[in-house]
Amino acid sequence: MKRNAWRPIIVLVVIVATMLGLTWRQEWKPLLGLDLQGGLSVVLTPTEETSQENLEVAINIIRSRIDAIGVAEPEITLQGQNILVQIPGVRDADQALELVGTTAEVRFRAVLQTLPPEAETTDGTTPGTTPDGTAGTTVPGDPTATTGDPTSEPSAVDPSATTTPTDAIEPTPSVDEQGMAAVEGESAAGMQDTPSTVTETVPPTTAAGPVAPSTTLDPALQQQLLEQQIASQAGQPGAGTNLPTTPPNEDTDEAQTVVLPQYDKPPGEPDRQVEVRYQLGPVLLTGEALQGASATINQSGEWAVNVRFKDGADGIDLFNAAAAQCKPPSATCPTGQLAITLDGAVISAPQIQPEQAAFTPVQADQITIRGNFDEASARQLALVLNYGALPVALEVQQVQSVSATLGQDALDAALISAAVALVLVTLFMVAFYRLLGLLAMAKLGLEMAILWAVISYLGSSQGLALTLAGITGIIVSIGVSVDSNIVYYEHLKEDIRNGRTRRSAVDKAFGSSFSTILKADGTSIIGAVLLWALSVGPVRGFAFFMGLFTVLDLIASYFFMRSTVAIAVRSKLCDRHPGWFGLPANDDERAVGRDARRRGTSPAMAGVGADAPSATADDDGAVL
Amino acid sequence: MSAVGRLLRGQSEIDFVPWWKRGLILSGILIVLSVVALFTRGLNLGIEFSGGISWEVKAPGVTVEQTREALAPFGLEFAKIQIVGSDTLRVQASTEAQDEQDAVRATLAELGNTTPEEVNVSSVGPSWGSEITAAAVRALVLFLLAVFGWLALRLEWKMAAGAIAAVVHDVIVSVGVYAAFQFEVTPPTVIAFLTILGFSIYDTVVVFDKVQENQGRTGLASRMTYTDMTSLSMNQVLLRSINTSVTSLLPVLCILVVGSGILGAVTLQEFAIALAIGLLAGTYSSIFVATPIVVWLKEREPRNRQLRVRLEATAHRAGSTAPGAAGDAAGTEANGDGAGTEASGSGTGSRLSAARRRAGPVGCDPATAAQEGQEALTRALR
Repeated sequence: MKRNAWRPIIVLVVIVATMLGLTWRQEWKPLLGLDLQGGLSVVLTPTEETSQENLEVAINIIRSRIDAIGVAEPEITLQGQNILVQIPGVRDADQALELVGTTAEVRFRAVLQTLPPEAETTDGTTPGTTPDGTAGTTVPGDPTATTGDPTSEPSAVDPSATTTPTDAIEPTPSVDEQGMAAVEGESAAGMQDTPSTVTETVPPTTAAGPVAPSTTLDPALQQQLLEQQIASQAGQPGAGTNLPTTPPNEDTDEAQTVVLPQYDKPPGEPDRQVEVRYQLGPVLLTGEALQGASATINQSGEWAVNVRFKDGADGIDLFNAAAAQCKPPSATCPTGQLAITLDGAVISAPQIQPEQAAFTPVQADQITIRGNFDEASARQLALVLNYGALPVALEVQQVQSVSATLGQDALDAALISAAVALVLVTLFMVAFYRLLGLLAMAKLGLEMAILWAVISYLGSSQGLALTLAGITGIIVSIGVSVDSNIVYYEHLKEDIRNGRTRRSAVDKAFGSSFSTILKADGTSIIGAVLLWALSVGPVRGFAFFMGLFTVLDLIASYFFMRSTVAIAVRSKLCDRHPGWFGLPANDDERAVGRDARRRGTSPAMAGVGADAPSATADDDGAVL
Repeated sequence: MSAVGRLLRGQSEIDFVPWWKRGLILSGILIVLSVVALFTRGLNLGIEFSGGISWEVKAPGVTVEQTREALAPFGLEFAKIQIVGSDTLRVQASTEAQDEQDAVRATLAELGNTTPEEVNVSSVGPSWGSEITAAAVRALVLFLLAVFGWLALRLEWKMAAGAIAAVVHDVIVSVGVYAAFQFEVTPPTVIAFLTILGFSIYDTVVVFDKVQENQGRTGLASRMTYTDMTSLSMNQVLLRSINTSVTSLLPVLCILVVGSGILGAVTLQEFAIALAIGLLAGTYSSIFVATPIVVWLKEREPRNRQLRVRLEATAHRAGSTAPGAAGDAAGTEANGDGAGTEASGSGTGSRLSAARRRAGPVGCDPATAAQEGQEALTRALR
């Protein structure tokens, strides 16, 4: 029987030791909330209710913007329709707010030319360009290439055509997969994850001649393009072929020309690299013209994106007008490509109808974007286009900027209060329950150890922060844990006083007191679950930690408290000195003690007298 | 045997019944006062609930008047300015002050002799605040319903009703205290309250569990009215109840005294005040609100009514001739009152001890108790 009693304790101690060991090995540490380490916390909600997918896109946009300003580890969570952004350590709240709150729009712009990923260096040469007469054509995605690929000359004659159009836009029924002639070996090699392709390039067109003046382009821009044409026709990489990237605040609806990058990964992912940059013309239409998009797969297993525009003048007409400029390529759209941009990056820049010689207007729902898509990239583009149809306008609901010093002070105060509370509670428990009181504190220690391991794990890997509310919840839970012990101990004492032997009382009292503990802890857990489900931000953290601790208490009470108290009470030490355990002597012992005292014999007999300090036989030995 | 000694042994003989009456009256008064305070003075809502902007900075030695002067150029001299914690300055204004937010921040930084980054700024849109409030109220209502269900399942619905009544009482009185003393209501306050509700119920459950346990002992339950049995149960668990309340209150007091008093952390202070008020209210209501309501509900049950009638009749017949178990020197039974009437000032303990003696030693074998009881009855009837 003794072995049985020890087993749960050993198992529990081993589990806790393992957890602590793992925490130490993996260097998990609790993640402090903003109110303890300082930083900025913003709550945003959409002005109109929108879908979960759209909110996810919005979150990714926010994340990539914050990454761009170099702040470490923003934490962005979605709670219902509320977006909670927490940026630790940020100093400039205003800049961060602006980044976070502005709405991102999908825009369609004509591609004027392709540029290498990096802007021009000081010596006037552009990395990656090849002085080999493939005039003005740079190899996208191949920034370090010093030799052009002589096999590629797809449109060497056409100075303003791009080398490798990435995708093609075609009317849907055209089942022209074979149209994707693998002309550009280099493009396939150069581009890693972009939906780059192998589509047919535009055959040399008559736009190779001088640029006809167009009323839709800015005169200065036209001049620039003219210069570039001349330069490239002369066989040199012209000055001005390599322009700086447009900063985000200049990428507006009104901007006549911008230079934007295309990344190898979707927004929100870490370590994105610029694959290629494009110089783009004015905004021809925005995402508002879109109805939606979906990723599709055909029988050959190729992925594509079907796009639907709205009917009429606001939708498909705008698109057809834009596409007509690109096919055949005109001055306003010299490359024949239409770029789709979101938040300062080009998501896709497909060629318009590459297989056809002239432009055919498309129906609103007959547009497919084909290219070297895999499932992920197709879905990504569809997601972006869907978002574009209904961009999420976010409204700032709450902003909190906490200074690091005040945060540190709060943490210190909380920890010191916790320490003092522990000391006082220990004193109290020992005063009333002696050694059993110490066991109660041991149980508390065990619970705290498990809690520490869990918090550290969740903090380091799940990003769950410990806020001041959470710490307060834990301090308050000290009372919860100790209460379970008190309920049990008092029940135990009562049963002993009523005549049960200590050994049988230990089990019987546990049964009924655990029922009480279960009811009461159950109530706490219900409260915690409700609070967690219905609240936002720090209240949630508090609810979580309180609920977690209460569950831990149930487990520890059932396994640890029962076994340790059973062992302690059944020990020989307790037989001899029950008072040391805060327990009353039972009737027989009391009777013996009384007889002994009446007879005037030494109260040391049977050791019972040790817990009968006064003549009034205050049996339970509690300190009065 | 000293009173404390009896308490420690769970054999205290406090007669709770008259206290319940007084308690219910006091609770009634407190509720009325709270409602009055709520409607006249209203709650002092923090900006998270009412919307607005708040600036906070550690500014030792700076007074409210100095701050008011410094903020006058912004038209904020009538904003809510407080010193919280021990030396933290807090200014709250409505959302109209949005434009001057940074300027105010700089000014306050100067006052506190520190940099603008050290000033905490919090701004909350007005609709957000009301959403949070609505969410908090929703959480409260759901909590009450869920707990009612849980307790009705594990105990019985009348006890669940008593527990919930106590909780509702706690909420009303706490809100009243906040309104009367104009403490600020912030999210920590709400968190603290929802915690307290859990504690209040813990306390109540301890008592009810005991009552249910005693109810199961037929020997005991048939010898005393439900009222007396409840009062007895309370005495038995009094120590338990006090100890759990003390261990719950100790950490809270530490947070209040050490955390916010000595070290001046403001959020901790908000938590601690709410927790302390809630804990005190909770302990009080477990004893003086939850239990009497349950007693009142249960006494109306036909079974308990019959029991009461029977016991009164027995006591009356027993009168002064019954030795041993039924005899009570204080003579309450000689008056024929039995267990039915409320004992007045003196002899409060004696009625209970009479009941206890009638019941026999608590927790011992019901069969023996019943036997003893039988003997007493037969002796009386002879």
